[in-house]
Amino acid sequence: MSPDPDVTEVTENGRRRIDWRETLFSFQSFFGLIAVFVAAIVFSPRRNGEILFLTSDNLFNVVRAVSEIGIIAIGMTFVILVGGIDLSVGAVLGLSAVGSAVLLVHDDLGVFPAVLIVLAVGLVFGLLQGMASALFGIQAFIVTLAGLQIARGLARIWSDGQGVAIAYGDGPNEAPVTFSLLGERTFGGVVPIPALIFAGLAVLAILFLRTSAFARHLYAVGGNEKAARLSGVPVNRVKIIVFGISGLLAALAGIVHAGQLNQGSPNDGAGYELDAIAAVVIGGTALTGGRGSVVGTVTGALLLGVLNNILALNNIDANVQLLIKGLVIVAAAALQRLRPSS
Amino acid sequence: MNRPWKGIFDVKRTIAFTACLMLAVTACGTTSQNSGKGPATQAKCEGTGGKYVIGMSQANVAEPYRQRMDDDIRTAAAKVPQFEVKFADAAQDNAKQVSDVENFLTQQINLLIISPNEATPLTAVVKKAYDKGIPVLVLDRKVDGDAYTSFIGADNRDIGRQAGKYVAEKLLPNGGKLVELKGLPGSTPAQERSEGFHETLGTKVQVVATGVGDWLREKGQQQLDAILKANAEVDVVYSHNDPMAEGAYLAAKAAGRESKIKFIGIDALPIPSGGVKAVEQGRISATFTYPTGGKEAIAAAKTLLVDCKQVEKKQTLPTQLITKENAERVYREANG
Amino acid sequence: MANDAPRLVRMTGIGKRYGGVLACQDVDFDIRAGEVHALLGENGAGKSTLMKILSGDITDYSGEIAVEGAPARFGGPVDAQRAGIAMIHQELDLVPGLSIAENLYLGREPRTRIGTVDGRQMRVWTQALLRRIGIDLDPRRPVGELRVGEQQLVTIARALSLDAKVLIMDEPTSALSTAEVEQLFAVIDELRREDAGIVYISHRMDEIGRVADRATVLRNGRIVEEFDARSMTAEQAAEAMVGRPVRTLFRASHGEAGEELLRVEDLTVHPRRVRSGRNEPAGISLTVRRGEIVGLAGLLGAGRTELLETLYGAGSAGRWDGRVLLDGVDVRPRGPRAALAKGIAFVPEDRRISGLVLEHSVLANTVVSIVDKLRTAGLVVSRRAEQANAAESAKRLRVKLSSLADPVGTLSGGNQQKVVFGRMLLTKPKLLLLDEPTRGVDINAKAEIYQLLGEIAGQGIGVLLASSELAELIGVCDRVVVLRGGRNVRELRTSEIGEADLLAATMGETAAGGAR
Repeated sequence: MSPDPDVTEVTENGRRRIDWRETLFSFQSFFGLIAVFVAAIVFSPRRNGEILFLTSDNLFNVVRAVSEIGIIAIGMTFVILVGGIDLSVGAVLGLSAVGSAVLLVHDDLGVFPAVLIVLAVGLVFGLLQGMASALFGIQAFIVTLAGLQIARGLARIWSDGQGVAIAYGDGPNEAPVTFSLLGERTFGGVVPIPALIFAGLAVLAILFLRTSAFARHLYAVGGNEKAARLSGVPVNRVKIIVFGISGLLAALAGIVHAGQLNQGSPNDGAGYELDAIAAVVIGGTALTGGRGSVVGTVTGALLLGVLNNILALNNIDANVQLLIKGLVIVAAAALQRLRPSS
Repeated sequence: MNRPWKGIFDVKRTIAFTACLMLAVTACGTTSQNSGKGPATQAKCEGTGGKYVIGMSQANVAEPYRQRMDDDIRTAAAKVPQFEVKFADAAQDNAKQVSDVENFLTQQINLLIISPNEATPLTAVVKKAYDKGIPVLVLDRKVDGDAYTSFIGADNRDIGRQAGKYVAEKLLPNGGKLVELKGLPGSTPAQERSEGFHETLGTKVQVVATGVGDWLREKGQQQLDAILKANAEVDVVYSHNDPMAEGAYLAAKAAGRESKIKFIGIDALPIPSGGVKAVEQGRISATFTYPTGGKEAIAAAKTLLVDCKQVEKKQTLPTQLITKENAERVYREANG
Repeated sequence: MANDAPRLVRMTGIGKRYGGVLACQDVDFDIRAGEVHALLGENGAGKSTLMKILSGDITDYSGEIAVEGAPARFGGPVDAQRAGIAMIHQELDLVPGLSIAENLYLGREPRTRIGTVDGRQMRVWTQALLRRIGIDLDPRRPVGELRVGEQQLVTIARALSLDAKVLIMDEPTSALSTAEVEQLFAVIDELRREDAGIVYISHRMDEIGRVADRATVLRNGRIVEEFDARSMTAEQAAEAMVGRPVRTLFRASHGEAGEELLRVEDLTVHPRRVRSGRNEPAGISLTVRRGEIVGLAGLLGAGRTELLETLYGAGSAGRWDGRVLLDGVDVRPRGPRAALAKGIAFVPEDRRISGLVLEHSVLANTVVSIVDKLRTAGLVVSRRAEQANAAESAKRLRVKLSSLADPVGTLSGGNQQKVVFGRMLLTKPKLLLLDEPTRGVDINAKAEIYQLLGEIAGQGIGVLLASSELAELIGVCDRVVVLRGGRNVRELRTSEIGEADLLAATMGETAAGGAR
């Protein structure tokens, strides 16, 4: 508790002065991203005077590599904003990747029905987790830990434990060529398709959190669940929907994953939930709920992506890379603690 | 008063920031749109005077076999002054390995060595490298199609055949009872090592039990524990790799039957915890080398880049039987 | 009487600055042995700051502190406790999962010979302490199960266990029932006889008159006046605190009550899961008419809060017997949301825990109950409508703030409470349920809230108000329903009674004699 609540200065109809520290902290992840970006340029290997990090190919590799984590991190942001956590997203991604491959290849479904079924599976999976958590009052951590196991199990069963390769064509056991659009590296030779999906979702999520009544409710539940309930906020409904959103986005990321790698494998996405949580935390969203934004999460995901990229371009030892990433997460969290207003 | 939700976040400034950032990124990006794309379809070869950067993309360095592969490449490359090798580890993640290869391409490597985590997911990015004119050497596991320069690897089916022959002719010429310990179901090596084995095993030897050890030492131990309880008579345990054979040995020892059973493994890594040492020390009676191909990959790279010659599309590495007689010598030579 | 007693503590020239704000300025303050020294002032006057300095919570200040003549400078609360100074905080700093005994002796548990915690000894001591302050609780019960008032008593017991020479009590009675307040006063008298010094911070003038010897008034970080507490009038004190004459404390008449709005008939709740410490309604009948303010009186554990929660759909799940009629129609809200939709609104007891999201803006907190009605198209909430509603609410309730964007946690207690009121009024309720609406609110804000209640009733809204402050019940309400053991035992017209009558009624006829 920084200064005694008794002594808050109340000026007559004047605005509070904008505190530069406050500004700095609310854009923590942005400054972090810019710092990492600049560092990446400085430390980038060069070839014939050209900065390799800044080549378009490389930058697009970065955003494409970030996209899947970014998509699930958006869903994770919703869950964390209500004070929950979703550990199942990596497994749901794997389940959906398998589902896409099996439906397209073994069941010869069209792209549209296959995608729709997979998304529905993800949505329902999330909603069920939300119900278990909200209606039975089980902690989200435990529910989704169980969900993680269940989704992996389902993925193994659905795929017979094997990776299912996706071959394209019109024949039996071949996926429609339309689906390979997701595997195409770029759209019109410019922007990678997964990045487009990520960016579109991010914009939607930002607008949704800005404008909707649901978002108001969501922030209230995360900020003080008891107060929200007594204020007439439908707390359970909010929680259930939030998990539904997370499941849906994890499923979408799984479809992208399958398209990118031309395969659905039951072990896909292992550990992705942790990367997503890291992106959310670096983005400044409080794990206790009620405070944070998708904008932060997007910058957090990009920050991690740029960091991964520059470490790889400099051939930093894989084990040292892990250390550096861990330190960045701790630093981001520590900065949050120094934040003046909370 | 215009920013009522300021307590939570501020979007106008945020959007401005994002826009700036995006602009910066795309501006930088478009100016160097065509960079990094080598025009050549032929490997760059500047003879002995050149300098070459080689990228080695490993699937999962946590496995001792793959660690050894990296080490073999490092050792062999140290003897070629023109070579500098960069290593990346995908930690069993296909998507990570795709990124690893892409990052190598950004760094404009002259040659790619890859030991793919899985075939299909990596096919596209390997083709991308190959189409850019970068020679690609694929180790151990294949990729789909033929967009690569050379595949270097051992033949698991052949190793299985040799193991079967060894059992049938040397260990149990008059027949006997055998237990097979399999690797991870669904994995190609497990399948091939089993099929090859049964091709040459003949009919005299009776397979009394089959266990699934998932390549793991502790699973091999558990499986054999149970199998020994159910079968009073076992003469040979054929294990798809050395660690499971070692586990099986421990199970037998616990049952006091280790001297009555012969253990056969595969891989024969010349490392302190590997199969060669286990044979030398008498825990395993025989094992078959599954060469990493690291040394051969650097040799192929030298042929392509320094000697400016072509290499075979497929290079199958021979296996070698390791027994008590040659174990000590093989270990010394491999680490010499 | 105690003026020649030795000084236990003397603070001279104390100053403390937060950024550009002076919280304390050149304050001289002393505590003598065997006296109760009341510290008065509005929220933000610097009382808490001064006492945090004395109790070692704040270490960077200017000025001198002398304990029994020797200069002292505390590095932290532990230092102060060693010097014999203990503070009972307004915020309850207990560990909910630990038992009462474990909380009392946290960090200084008695040991057995082999070095393990001597639980039996701890319980015996705890039992003795609890008995001393007159509550009968099992020392093994987890603190989290206790009601707020009981928890407050536990913190008092803990302070007593320190054997402090100087005891600082910050609003010690805010969650206590009348009987418990009496018990606390008895303890204070006993401490006084034992020559302890007590600093007593409270907003309740009646308490100060009864318990304190001296009273010092702080305003804007400075001492403005010192009174003999026994002869001081509430008006004098209020004027010194506010710096100008204060409006009458209680509302003006709000006109005649209309037809019947709420009828509760023999309401009994059989909870599905019995939770200890809850006193569910057990046969309550009462009515509230339009424009009428009905008080709910009763001791701690009489079931006031539980009744309000039940009516709001926020009580224990379980079977109901009896009926609740709103405008003649049977209602049983499934939850707060349903209750609000039916026109029942509720201001909970503890605004910081159950009322507000402290780090969110005033605006967000004000409109949260009605945002889904402020939608323009589809999902989108009209920002203008939010702004207009929040601004109007703040204006109507005279919330003092610099911007609607400020986090609500930065407002004073009274203004925070007004935000909760405003939120409920925006839902346009027919019936307003209030649980201790002026607890921890300074005197000025209190007066404003009373005036507001008059206005609310004047608009035809029925109000059911639960309070532990007898003066408040008598001053504000038209009728008071007295609860005991989850049922209504008496109903009194406030125009005909005094505080003593009400006190007697809450305690039951047998105990009434000893009350005053």
